[in-house]
Amino acid sequence: MKNVTFLEAITEAMAEEMRRDQRVFVMGEDVGAYGGVFKATKGLHDEFGGERVIDTPISEELIVGAGVGAAAMGMRPISEIQFSDFASCGFDPIVEQAARLRYRSGGGWTCPMVIRICCGGEIGGGLYHSQTNENWFFGTPGLVVLAPSTPYDAKGLLKSAIRGDDPVIFLEHKKLYRWVRADIPEDDFTVPMGRADIKRPGTTLTIIAYQLMLHRVLEAADILAKSGIDAEVVDLRSLRPWDKETVLDSVRKTGKALIVHESPLTGGVGGEIAAVITEEAFEYLDAPVQRLTGPDVPPIPFAPAMEEFYMPDTRKIVAKARTLAAY
Amino acid sequence: MAEAKAKRQTDPGMSASKEDQKALYYHLIRARRFDERCRRLFKQGRFPGTYFSAVGQEAAAVGAAFGLGPDDVIAPSHRELGAYITKGMPLAALMRQLFARADSPDKGKSHPCHFGYPEINLLTPASTMTAQVVVGTGMALALRMQKKPNVVLAFIGEGGTSRGAFHEALNFAGIHDLPIIYVCLNNLWAESVPAYRQSRITKFSDRAKAYGFAGFTIDGNDLLTVYQTVREAIERARAGSGPTLIECLTYRWYGHSEIDPANYRSADELESWKKRDPVALYERHLDETGIMSQAEREKIITQVDAEIEEAITLAEASPHPEAKEALDDVYSFSPAANFPARAQPTPPGGLT
Repeated sequence: MKNVTFLEAITEAMAEEMRRDQRVFVMGEDVGAYGGVFKATKGLHDEFGGERVIDTPISEELIVGAGVGAAAMGMRPISEIQFSDFASCGFDPIVEQAARLRYRSGGGWTCPMVIRICCGGEIGGGLYHSQTNENWFFGTPGLVVLAPSTPYDAKGLLKSAIRGDDPVIFLEHKKLYRWVRADIPEDDFTVPMGRADIKRPGTTLTIIAYQLMLHRVLEAADILAKSGIDAEVVDLRSLRPWDKETVLDSVRKTGKALIVHESPLTGGVGGEIAAVITEEAFEYLDAPVQRLTGPDVPPIPFAPAMEEFYMPDTRKIVAKARTLAAY
Repeated sequence: MAEAKAKRQTDPGMSASKEDQKALYYHLIRARRFDERCRRLFKQGRFPGTYFSAVGQEAAAVGAAFGLGPDDVIAPSHRELGAYITKGMPLAALMRQLFARADSPDKGKSHPCHFGYPEINLLTPASTMTAQVVVGTGMALALRMQKKPNVVLAFIGEGGTSRGAFHEALNFAGIHDLPIIYVCLNNLWAESVPAYRQSRITKFSDRAKAYGFAGFTIDGNDLLTVYQTVREAIERARAGSGPTLIECLTYRWYGHSEIDPANYRSADELESWKKRDPVALYERHLDETGIMSQAEREKIITQVDAEIEEAITLAEASPHPEAKEALDDVYSFSPAANFPARAQPTPPGGLT
């Protein structure tokens, strides 16, 4: 075992896959000798050279679109979007090319690529360095969308994504980069896509979350446990496809569900999960399914008090869970 | 400097041999006859959607593609039928796509004229203009990384050069000297918007100057000029000398698609271009040089027409896709199966 940060887990996954498979390469802004704006590609340029670790111009459409073309020709590109706020500049290649190439060619062309996107708030980044735009991609058939919370899951899922045959949006919450550490195995391992993980078993209610919010939910669960509320915490990890079976099994057991995410309420992942729980586990419910999310404003305002107001946090989760438990 | 080393050579070794010139006629006439037949089929209601005719632009498409080898790649837009035919896409495959049949290359998913065929390295394009130029640039990057001697031919219209994606792609290709040739078919009209409303510049090949590589504007209705110019660019790209932008001046005779009457253009303009019909121009060349007699050409036309009718018969005999095939080819896996592995080991070492 070795102790690594979330960020180091991601760097290791890329380095190991690049050693294992000559087809894997990285392209993006500042990813070269500089090592990436958050240092996710640190050391890769030294080890693999500029041919496989490509510094691009400020050109998100190219970063993703050239990745699509390279993937179609048998490479395994990892395209890095520096902040998810800038993913909008690469929207055509993500949504119209990567997500639809297999479908529109009747399976004749495929797009095995990973689009790593750094996202998330609670870091004082302001309106264009804090967004979590998973809902943009969640509603796009053809994409796999991953959102890990722990170094183990980040490394294992990124490896699965690189080895897989589909376009993957790999969301990396920047608050987790250096704040979260864990012991992970020295040896090669993967985590399968499409599977949730129960990070804390419980009986009173089910709380479903991912990325930073998963950690806030676990903190809240510890507080709730002191007053006899035993929350089961489901880490979704994979948003598209998401693990209905694990979520429904948990809700059938507890009878109550709360979904927590950082993105705004309307059109968010939580709405879809709530709908499926209601459709498929209605008879097991003891209370309406609840959501705790960012408000319906452009994420995330800069002033510290406004960012704090925007973000779901441990205190808000505890309050919401208490109300739900008492329903 | 890039421009200097890319000066057009008019290398006699790259001009078309007699046999090549005969083959060029075969592709040219297949493109013309197939296209006109498809227009009739659409007007008869034989296939759904609409049809995007490339009549009038055949010389540019055929000439550009003729210098490619089997392992070279085409990143198409939607009005380069002659290029797909020249590269080797079977007429029956084209027809099956128009008829949206189950055995069409796209299995009935895409669009009448977004032809793709992986077997001949023809990318299946999207309708978002210029996307194929970005994706094609990535294909050229892959060829470079794989150390292959092949090139990409990416097509675009003059209207498509207005998109930001065009700038991002050509800028990157210039930086990395990628093996790609951007062929811009300037037919003066982007649907209903004239070229002078696309840009202040009048020579679209001037755009190449901003990316540090050569750009040429040529007569796109002169088949041999197109072939030779693109062929030279292909050889430069193969030799590692990077990209070229080639603007082919041409004209589409009909509307943007068959539902567009194209009444935004003057009759005089259309007539002046019809006088420069690329097929008639090439036939005159064949007559003048004695490379191919009218009798020989008529024999070829008869063969081509039979080939087209056979393609129609095959397409109409092909099965329609099952409606539920709409659910196929979204992922490499079946989402309904929701991934087979169920048991999840607890991550060792705890969570945080």
